[in-house]
Formats: sequence, C-alpha cells, structure tokens
Amino acid sequence: MDFEVTYTLEQEAFRTEVRAWLAANIPEGLEQPVDPGDLSLAQYQKLRELGRRLGVKGWLYPTYPKEYGGGDLSVDFVMILEEELDRYGLHLPPYYDSGGRLGGASIFVWGTEEQKQQFLPPIFRGEWRTWQLLSEPNAGSDLAGVQTRAVRDGDSYIVNGQKIYVGSLHGCEMMWTIVVTDPDKPRHENLGWLMIPYGLPGTEVRPMELLTAGGEGGASPGLKHTIFFDNVRVPAFNLVGGENNGWRVATTHLELEHGGGGVVRRNRVVDQFLEYCITTKRNGETLSKDPDVRDDMVEAYIKSEIVRLFGLRTYWLSHAHKPRSYEGPQLSYCRKTYALEIAETILRAVGPYAMTNDPDWGPLNGLLEHYQRSAVVGLHPGGTTDIQKVIMARRIGIGRTTKEQAGRLR
Amino acid sequence: MDLGLTEAQELLKTTAANFIQQEYPKETIIALESTPTGVTPELFRKVAELGWLGIIIPEVYSGEGRSCTDAAVLFEELGRGPVPGPYFSSGVLGALTVLHGGTEEQKHAILPQVASGERVLSLAVTEPHHGWRPETVQMRASLQGGAYTLNGTKLFVHDAQAATHLICAVRTSPSSNGSTSGITLLIVDAKAPGVTVRTLPGWMAQVDEVRFTNVLVATTAVLGGTEGQGWETLEAAALQAIPILCAYQVGSCQAVFDMAVAYSRTRVQFGQSIGRFQRVQDHIINIVNNLDAARWTTYEALWKLDTGRPAAASVRLAKAVTSEAYLKVCDSGHEVHAGVGVIREYGLTLHTQRSRTLYHLLGEPRYHRRRLADALGW
Repeated sequence: MDFEVTYTLEQEAFRTEVRAWLAANIPEGLEQPVDPGDLSLAQYQKLRELGRRLGVKGWLYPTYPKEYGGGDLSVDFVMILEEELDRYGLHLPPYYDSGGRLGGASIFVWGTEEQKQQFLPPIFRGEWRTWQLLSEPNAGSDLAGVQTRAVRDGDSYIVNGQKIYVGSLHGCEMMWTIVVTDPDKPRHENLGWLMIPYGLPGTEVRPMELLTAGGEGGASPGLKHTIFFDNVRVPAFNLVGGENNGWRVATTHLELEHGGGGVVRRNRVVDQFLEYCITTKRNGETLSKDPDVRDDMVEAYIKSEIVRLFGLRTYWLSHAHKPRSYEGPQLSYCRKTYALEIAETILRAVGPYAMTNDPDWGPLNGLLEHYQRSAVVGLHPGGTTDIQKVIMARRIGIGRTTKEQAGRLR
Repeated sequence: MDLGLTEAQELLKTTAANFIQQEYPKETIIALESTPTGVTPELFRKVAELGWLGIIIPEVYSGEGRSCTDAAVLFEELGRGPVPGPYFSSGVLGALTVLHGGTEEQKHAILPQVASGERVLSLAVTEPHHGWRPETVQMRASLQGGAYTLNGTKLFVHDAQAATHLICAVRTSPSSNGSTSGITLLIVDAKAPGVTVRTLPGWMAQVDEVRFTNVLVATTAVLGGTEGQGWETLEAAALQAIPILCAYQVGSCQAVFDMAVAYSRTRVQFGQSIGRFQRVQDHIINIVNNLDAARWTTYEALWKLDTGRPAAASVRLAKAVTSEAYLKVCDSGHEVHAGVGVIREYGLTLHTQRSRTLYHLLGEPRYHRRRLADALGW
C-alpha cells in the first residue's frame, strides 16, 4: 500500500510549473472571508478570473479530455494542482461551482457528442458558473418525486415549477435541473435532465434566509435561493440523456454528491481549532494543557483523521477506476455526523467563545462560530445522513442478495 | 498512491484464508477457545511449517523477513477466525522484543527457534496494579550469587500457558521503583522451578496469572545483556506490533460484518428479511463504519512503519480507534443477531470475547489517546 503519491521527475517538473504559474496568476488582494456569506462581488470576480485562467490551461477541470476544455491530466498531476492551490487555501474550482462539477460529470457520461461540444467547454474553462436545481418544497430526500414539469412544445420545453436550496452568492450563467417529462410513466422513468440558461424570461430567483449556506466539500455557496419557473421556454436540445432518462443521468451526479469522488483535504477547521488550543492561554495556562481540553482535542483529531482516510480511500477508488460500492455515501455519512460531533467537542473545549464572531471575543475571526452553524446546515446537502445510510444498505446488500451498483462516473 | 494489496500480499491472504478454512473450522475454534493454550501441538506445527511464526523475523535469523503490512495481512485473516493461540504473542510481539532488545548472540539463539515453533514466547509485563506503563512494573529481581531471584506476580499475561519462555519485566534496583526507567527484561524458562501459571477464569481466553516464587534466573538471561533498557525495548517492539494486533482485530470485525450481512438476508421476521428494516440496517452500517475506521487507520500506520516514516502518532491512533471499534462492532453484531448471537455454537461470541480480551493488550484506548496527544507535540 502507498498512502501518498510518489511523484516522478516529470510530475515534480509540473509542480514547479504550477507553482510559478500560480504565483503569477493568483489575483492580487485575494481574501477569503471566514463566513462564505461575506464574499464580496469584487472578491468573487477575482476568483472567477482565476477560474478562467486555470480553464485556459485545462487546469480547472483537469481530468477531462482537452477537447472538452479539460487538461487530460491523470490523478497524480491533479493531486499536485490541488496541493499547490491548497497553499493559498484554494481548491478546484476556486469558487463554488458544484453545478459545474456535478453537471459536467453527468453531461460527460450521458450527453450526445453535440451536447458535450456545446456544454462542456464553457463549464470546464470557467466561462460558466453552473447551479444545480434539485430539491423542491415537496421533494427533498425523495428526489425522484419532483413535480416541476417540462412539456415539449416544438423545439422547446416549457418549464413550470419551483426549486429550492439553489445556488450561491453573485449568480451564475447556467443551471440544470430534473423535471417531470412524462407524468404518466412510472417513478424513475418519468424524468428529464435539462440545462437551463440563467435569466430566461419567466424565471424568478429569490434569496433564502438560512442559518448559513453550507455545502458538501469544496468552496461554500454563501447564499441559497428559491427559483420559480413560470412558462420558461428552454431549447429541447438542452435535454441531456434523452427522453425520460433523467434519473439515470442523475445517478452520476448523485454518486458524486454522495461522496463517490472522494476528497484529499484535511478538515481545516479542526486543524485551526487544535492550533488555537495549543496557542491560547486561559487563566495563565495553555488550553491544551488542560486534561479535559486535551481529551476533546484528541476526539476531534481522531474523527477528522477517520474522515480524511475515508476521503482518501474513496478518492483512490474513484480515480484509479476500482469497483466502488458503499464507500461514497459512507464518507458523506461520516463527514456529516462527525462534523456535528466535532462541533460539540469544540463548543465544550472552547466554551461560549465558540458561539460568537465578535471581533474582540470570537476566536479565529469567527471561524469556530461559523462551524457551529455550518455543521448543522451540512447535514442535508447532497442527501441527509439517513439517505446516505439507505444507499449504503442497498449497496452492501443488507437484507437483499441483489446489490445496488454505484453510479457511473466515466 | 495505491491502497490495494500487492500480488504477494493477495497470495498470502488467499493462502491464509484457505488454511484457516481447512484447519480452523468454527467447531475447532469453539473447542480451542476454552483451552488454556488455545492451540494444539499439531496445528501449531502446521502454522510453523508455513513460516508464519517467523513472518516478521529477518531472514538472517531464519525468518521470512516480511514487512509489517505483510504480517498484518496474515493476522487479519487469523482474526477472521478468530484463531486463538500464541501466534501474535510469540511470532510478533515476542520476536520483535528480542529483535529490538537482544544481543546478536541472543537473537541468533532465540529467533530461529521462535520461527520454527520450538520456542514460544510470551510477554509478562503487567502486574496486579494493572496498566501498560513502566511505573506499574514493580516486580523485583534481586541479584545474589551470580543469579537473579524473582518473586512476585504477573497478571493478565497473554498466552503464558502456551509459552516455553516468558519475557519478564522486572526491576533489578529498588531505587528505580515507581520510575519510568530502570526496567530490565529477563528471559525466563516457563518450566523453571517456582513458576506457576494459572489460566484466569471468566470471560477471557488464554490470559493468565503467573506467579514467581524464588525463581532463579541466570544473568545471561538479561535481554540485551544490560540492565535497565527494558521499557525502551518494549516500546520499540510495541510500536511495530500494535498495528499487527490491530489487523487481527480488523479481521475479526470483518468477520462480524460478513456474519451480520448474511444473517440480515436469511433471517425472516414479520414476513420479510430483517435486513429490510432500517433499524437493523443502522446496526450493520455502524459495524461497517467502525470496521473501516479501524482498517484504514491500521493500514496507514503500517505503511508509515514500512516506509520508515515517523509512525508513533499513527500507531496510537490505530490502536485507540481499533480497540474501540472492535467493541462497537461486536455489540452491533449482537443487536442484529439477538438470541442466535449468544448461542455459543453460532460463533459470534468468539469475536465478542476477543474484543474484550484484547481491549487492554499493549495499552487500552484511553492510554493511546493520551499518548497520541503527546506524539502530536501538544
């Protein structure tokens, strides 16, 4: 076994190239707020500019083929990119583009050649930021029960309905969604997967007031919306995967949402919490020397290590194209439940300071306060913890001899 | 990055699995569970012939000279049994202790015999004031007339009944009492006059009390030839041995997982497989989450050891996670199996008993959690 990438000379040369490139191309004055809801438009635009520059190099979505705007890079090269971006506290993509990451994967697997040519390059080159539109007021965990309708009318679909928990701060260029294309067909065979350009007539976008806008890994969205479609006319060309095949298209991005792609990052909040305990004095004594705090630190560390290893394992399975089963949703389940438990541990160790982002009294510029909220919010995106367990049970084959297969990623 | 096994490891895994399936059917393991040694001379000879008692012993001492990860692959399969017997005590922990602490002469004299199975080692460290800490070692060995005299009791000694030799932690100087240093390891013939080994009754297996009454031990029996180096040797040996022990626990967790999944499919209540009930599914998911946490912390620690990386923190992490996980896995296994799970001939209780018996071996989880904090420099 080898838990680390052993880099070749060619790869080390690539690292040197990436490092120099980043030094020259990371926009001046880039700052990341502790609370993603505080991301200014100016800062967002800097991140988008960086995304487009990465896109030109094929480094924004580097594992995809060059012909679609990717970089044709193997996993080891991507690890280098991620490691070098991590030195700046950034990752790929550098802004919230969950819709591009998930939608891009689905189009790549299920789109026609023409659709791939049209949709993938703008996504993979960072020209579009894409939102995913999945949940509805009456379809959350039961995603296949969506009610938004798309009715064929000549070369268009007419879309009507409502989607919630959508998007991020500062808008997007493209959206995609699951709609009912044939209400008379059985469940899972009645859906379509549709790309919808942002800002079409009949679309209304309303911000939601949430505890915070959490996300599943990657950059946080900062804001969520409700979107209303009132007779919105969408080109029929934009239906990916064919008539009534939307659920199968969705299995690809759902697999990724359920953790199937894995992750190679550490939990930065835990790292900073530990550092805080080591460097902060209370009543003349360092926090980490208090035996109770020390126990809490170990508890948080152990959980973050388990999640890191599950992420690494799943990342390897996915990128080395090994058979996958329950590992993605297991990662997601443990990340979510442990985040909540770690938040409690931090609250216990740090005290009420962890509940304020007051400039005088809130530790780490409010990072711990934000974590108290985001750990709660993080329970639902990409499927609740209960949904992750349902998927795990099916994949493991608990109580059934036929095991459900993991969603296609390639 | 490659988190898969090598071809050689896959082969070892298959060989071990086949051997255990053939030689260690459930009925055999159940019968052995309640014996003092947990092994028969015939089974022990067969395992020795496969080279597994010397798996971690360097070739220069007639062992197989394989890596910690290789040894872990083997012990994971043994854990699936769970196969009892002194394989870990002698072939891993005992061998590593001699390897780290012995003189060249001692290594040449002892290790080939451990590999061949002629000698069986067991570590006698903990005492009535139990704890995997040097301070708790109080037994005296007083030097008189060119030999040591041992008096005292070692408690919770694993596999002493099967051992031909005990590696016994003692204090040779009264002034070092209660100190973290000044411990000496003596290799004591388990059949020496004055050594009494008694299997502890109750819900543990192959764990013993060893009493020493005026036991005479030659000065040549000092491991390493110098007094006072014992705890450092034990720590060095334990660092490598712990993840291999963890792998045994992982194998046992895997077996419980497999049993629970199989049972969830075949057991029918209320007209359907019990695995259709989400409350039952929750127990099995709890099993697999704990199993995988144990598995990946263990194998990362092994990888660090085998590649010469600093491994102390990872080893502590693995031991804390694995021992805790093992208990939870077995508990959830019983939730799934209910009454059937506690019928001895079903076999689940073999794992449950091991999960408790191995909980404290080489330090309980709480101890390793605290050492983890130290290792991280907090």
